[in-house]
Parts: sequence; C-alpha cells; structure tokens
Amino acid sequence: MTAASESASGHRWAVADLWTWAVLKWVVAICIAIVAVFPIWWMVNVVFAEPGAPVSINPRLYPTSFSAGWDKIMMILTETQYLRAYYISVTYALLTILGVLLFGSMAAFEFALFDFPGKGLLFGVVMLSLMVPTAVTIIPTYLLVADLGWLNTMQGLVVPGLASAFGLFMLVQFMRSIPAEMIEAARLDGASHFQIYWHVALPLSKNALVTLAILTFMKTWGNFTWPLIVAPSPETYTVGQVVGLFNAPFSHQTVDVVMTANLLAAVPPLIFFLIFQRKIVEGIAMQGSKG
Amino acid sequence: MAQLDIQAVTKTFGTVSVLKDINLNIRSGEFIVFVGPSGCGKSTLLRMITGLETVSSGEIRIEGARVNETDPAQRGTAMVFQSYALYPHMSVAENMGFSLRMAGQKKTEIRDRVARAAAILRLDKLLDRRPGQLSGGQKQRVAIGRAIVREPKVFLFDEPLSNLDAELRVKMRAELLELHRRLKATMIYVTHDQVEAMTLADRMVVMNGGIVQQFGRPLDLYDDPDNLFVAGFIGSPRMNVMSAEVAEVTPTHVTVTSPGGADARLILPFRGLDPSIRQLSLGIRPEHVRLAEAGEGLPVAVDFVEELGDVTYIHGSMPAGERLVIRSGVRRLDPTLTTCHAALDPARFLLFDSEGQRLRESGSLPA
Ligand SMILES: Nc1ncnc2c1ncn2[C@@H]1O[C@H](COP(=O)(O)OP(=O)(O)OP(=O)(O)O)[C@@H](O)[C@H]1O
Ligand SMILES: [Mg+2]
Repeated sequence: MTAASESASGHRWAVADLWTWAVLKWVVAICIAIVAVFPIWWMVNVVFAEPGAPVSINPRLYPTSFSAGWDKIMMILTETQYLRAYYISVTYALLTILGVLLFGSMAAFEFALFDFPGKGLLFGVVMLSLMVPTAVTIIPTYLLVADLGWLNTMQGLVVPGLASAFGLFMLVQFMRSIPAEMIEAARLDGASHFQIYWHVALPLSKNALVTLAILTFMKTWGNFTWPLIVAPSPETYTVGQVVGLFNAPFSHQTVDVVMTANLLAAVPPLIFFLIFQRKIVEGIAMQGSKG
Repeated sequence: MAQLDIQAVTKTFGTVSVLKDINLNIRSGEFIVFVGPSGCGKSTLLRMITGLETVSSGEIRIEGARVNETDPAQRGTAMVFQSYALYPHMSVAENMGFSLRMAGQKKTEIRDRVARAAAILRLDKLLDRRPGQLSGGQKQRVAIGRAIVREPKVFLFDEPLSNLDAELRVKMRAELLELHRRLKATMIYVTHDQVEAMTLADRMVVMNGGIVQQFGRPLDLYDDPDNLFVAGFIGSPRMNVMSAEVAEVTPTHVTVTSPGGADARLILPFRGLDPSIRQLSLGIRPEHVRLAEAGEGLPVAVDFVEELGDVTYIHGSMPAGERLVIRSGVRRLDPTLTTCHAALDPARFLLFDSEGQRLRESGSLPA
C-alpha cells in the first residue's frame, strides 16, 4: 500500500466517524424531543378526542375529533371566567416585566457605571436578598400588601415583584461591560444623566433586557403561590388559579375538560417560546455563566 | 489673549499627587502635543481641560473665561478617545449628530452639519453604516467627525492613532495636519510617541512625573533641552550621555577628564561655568559623533551595528559602561568590528549638572 492511499483510507475513516457521530447526535436529540413533547401531544389528543371516549384508552397517539375539542375550548372560554383570567395573567405578566426592566435597568445603570457613597453596601444588601428563599419573605410581603389594602388588586399582585434582585444582578453584570469612555463621550456630547441612560446604556443592554423580559414572563406566568395568597377572590384569578380549580381533587370536571383548561394555560408560553426560542436559550446560558 | 490658559493647575487623586503646578499658555490655532512616558499625567491633564476630571487647584481658562466649574459639554472642547468610544448601536451619521440632537437642534440642521463634516473626512458613503462595519481608520475618522460637528474651540485627542497599524498611522497623521490647516482650530494631542509629537506639533509639552519638563517648538526642544529627561526623550536614537570630571574652568572653556571613563581630556567651549561644579553629565547626539582613526577620539567597544541603508548606527559602550551611539554614513562596516574610535565634536556638547538640569552659558552670549 502506498502512503497516499493509506492516508486516503484514513481520511475515509474520519468521514465515517463523523457520520456515525452525526447520526448518534440526531437520534439522541430526537429521543429527548419526543420525551419532552409527548405529554403535550397527549394533552392535545385528549382534548381533540371523540366525546365519551373512555379515559382509560392509553396512550392516545393522535387526535380523533377536531370539532369536539373546539367545542370544549369554546365551552371553557364562554362558561367559565377563563378569559378574564387570561386578561389578569397577561396584565400581571406585562406590568411586572415593564417594572422589572425599568427599575432594574435604572438601578443597574447607577450600580454598574457610577460611584456613589454606600454603593458597595447597598449592592451587598440587594445581593443578600438573592440568598433568601421566597418562602421566607412571602408572609411579611403579604402582611405589607394587606396593610396597604391591596389584597385582591392588580397592584397587590404586581408591585412586590417589581424590584428583582436577580434582574438587577444580571443587568449590572451586563452594563459593567459598557466602556467608561463611551459614557464620557456621551457626557461630552451634552447628554444629561438620564439621556445617557436612555440613549446609550439602554440600547446597549438590549440583549440582556430581552432575556430578562423572557425570564420574568416565564416566572410570572408560572407563579401560582403569590396570586393564590394575595388575590384569592375570583375576580382576580389568574390562569394558574383557574386551572388549579379544574385540577382540584374534588373538581367534578371530566378529564378531557381539565386537559382543555391545562392546554389553554400552556398556549401563551408555547407561543412565547416559539417566538423567542433563540433568546431563551441564550438567556438560560447567560444565567449559567454569569449567575 | 491665549485661547487656553492653564494656571498653576494641580491634580491629586486621594493623597496621590498626579499633576504638579502646570502652567501653559496655548494660542489660538496652535497644534500642541503633550508627550511623555506612560503614567506621567497626560490624559489626566487633557481630561481636566475637557471637564471629565475636576481641577484640584489652579485655574483653567478658555478664551479668558474660567471653566473649572463649567459643564464638560459647555466648554467648547471636543475630545477624541483612543478607543474611539463610538456608540455601536447608532449609524455613523447618528454618532456624528448625537451632540447636536442632545442640544435640541433641528433635524435638517443636524443633517447639514453631519454632511459637511462627513465631506471633510470623506465619510459620505459610510453614513448609514454601524461602527462595527468600519475599519480602524474609518472609526477613527468618525470619532474625529463627531468632534468636528460640534465646532469646538479646542480639539482634544488622547492617543487617537495608537490602535492603528504603523502605515495607517502615518497616513492619519498627515490627514490630521491637513484637517488642522483647514479648520485652523486649536488642537491638543496626547501621545507617548516622540516621533509623532515632533511631526505634528507646533509646540510640544514634554511631561514626566506630573511635571512639565519643557514647553516649546519641537526643534528647540531637540537642540536646546532644559534637562536630561527632555534630552533623552526627544530624538531617536537617544542622545548619548556620559559623566565627566571638571579639570579646569576658564572664562570661555571647560576642560573635562575621563569622559565616560575613557582616559582622555576634552576641551569644550563654554562660557562662565560655575567653578564649584566638579561633576558633569555631557550630552551629545549621535549625529555629532563620528567614526575616527585609531589614535584619534575615544575608544569604544562595539555592541552591535544597525545598518539602515541611508545611515548606520554603531551602538557601543564606553569604558565606564555608558552607551555611545555613533552615526555614520559608512555602509557595510567590517562585520568583525569589535572596537572603534569615536570623535566627538566638542562644540556640540550639552552640559548638565548632577541633578540633570541643563547648564547654560552665561556672560556675553555669542551673537
Ligand atoms: N481615577 C484615578 N484614580 C487614581 N489614580 C489615577 C486615576 N486616573 C489616573 N491615575 C493615576 O494618575 C497618573 C497619570 O495617569 P494618566 O492616565 O494621566 O497617564 P498618561 O500620561 O495618560 O499615561 P498613558 O500614556 O499610559 O496613557 C497615573 O499614575 C495613574 O495611575
Ligand atoms: Mg493616557
């Protein structure tokens, strides 16, 4: 065998290796995807099934009746307070996102780019609050909200969540990478303190802000405990609470209706996820490397 | 009236004194270069002029008006940073127009002024690009454009070319000079590159350790330095410095012995040396030292030879270990050369005292 053909066969080997590797990767990825998607798919199949199909038919691999599913959805949306709960949940999530982004970015701007007396201490206190589990703060926060007379109100839901230590931390990390000379250049260009924040620091932190918005959305949409204790009245039910009613052990709803309620609750985060897929992955990666 | 007056200015950070008693009068339209080694306080002084640092004591005046307390944006100064500090999320046009937008100018006015500056800097075709899509030289031009748009009284540049490669640097230097000629604005330029300083400056400020060592025209500083620091800092290769002992002082001449440890006497023309001085440092530039025949001049051990084509530098050391560089027109020296003789032009020596201060002739000065 000549040296040339030897190296050629070595080359072929490497190609074959790559092939196996690629196929293996795909197989593993597809398996994981199936495991992840299957429950949702199952849920869809239960909802869009012929009425009266026994619950015990397991597993259900495909939908059998679109119209039956649609009827159930319409029933839930019209005969329960589901739409109002959507409205409450979406408002709750959006207001929280807005607040977290606004307060977080303003505070991060000061902490990351300027010096002021007591800065280290204040930042330390905020970071310390990251260590305290929610379970510890939830009762004092509740009492405070109750004192303010904010039980069963939107502000009661939203305001305590506006200052996010995690958000501040993340944005501070991000804004620290803005060069001091850029801030100085803006100052020389005649930008006021607020204008520097608005025209320079905010746009430069866009990626971090988007990430924080996504994380905040996921957190508020999935938040069950806080709405449950601070807004127990049916007028202020969030989607989570309404679904909770369906899921309760003594609820006299059939399984397919419960599944429909659950599916409706999962739709907004799903849509959200599909839109922001890449950013979410980046965001989680960022949490890992920076947090 | 001076355009920019710096009077007894000092700067301290905490307890560290960074600038000591700076006094400079800069005339309108001058191109001034601050030059000095790293950490000598050039940037700090520049930042004080523009208002990014407070003045610890003393006074800065622009066109006669004290500006110590004036907001940076209102001083009529514009600064170009070493890192360019362009806003990455804005287009070139937006970068250049940002200050006008902050000043509340009308859109059409902003567009006109940006277009005018862009034309001067040949940036017309790049106005819609983002800084990330520009080369280093283009970014630098945008940074300069951002300054031009503001029509400042004083331009400040902090090592604006140090991120560029050597060739581009030479080109940008020429462009800066051209720009200065066109705008006739006062410009202050910081660098630690003495060649850059010499080529750009109308007058240059040599700084070291927070002190202005000398302020003057480049060639005056080259020919007539006030102290050893300036003598050594300006000129490449550096001025040769050797110690010597004073043997005899006459009204018109000084005789020194053992220059650089060599067994020799030199008779230097010098009027009125203080007879109490026993020790001197002698400075002489490489171009005033030539290769000599054996028997003439001082013996020098050759360390290495730089053949640059038009000129050859012979780097050697004197018996006391002091460096001596000889400039020679001879090409292709004998490569085995290990010793040679250097003839030093006695009329070209500069004399410094043991503190490194220049000793100047007194009495009747030569016409
Ligand atoms: N904010 C600050 N706090 C404390 N010391 C400082 C500060 N800024 C600068 N210094 C010190 O002041 C001195 C002068 O710094 P400056 O940046 O003016 O030097 P420079 O001449 O511009 O040097 P280079 O050529 O490296 O840019 C340095 O010793 C530096 O450590
Ligand atoms: Mg500097």
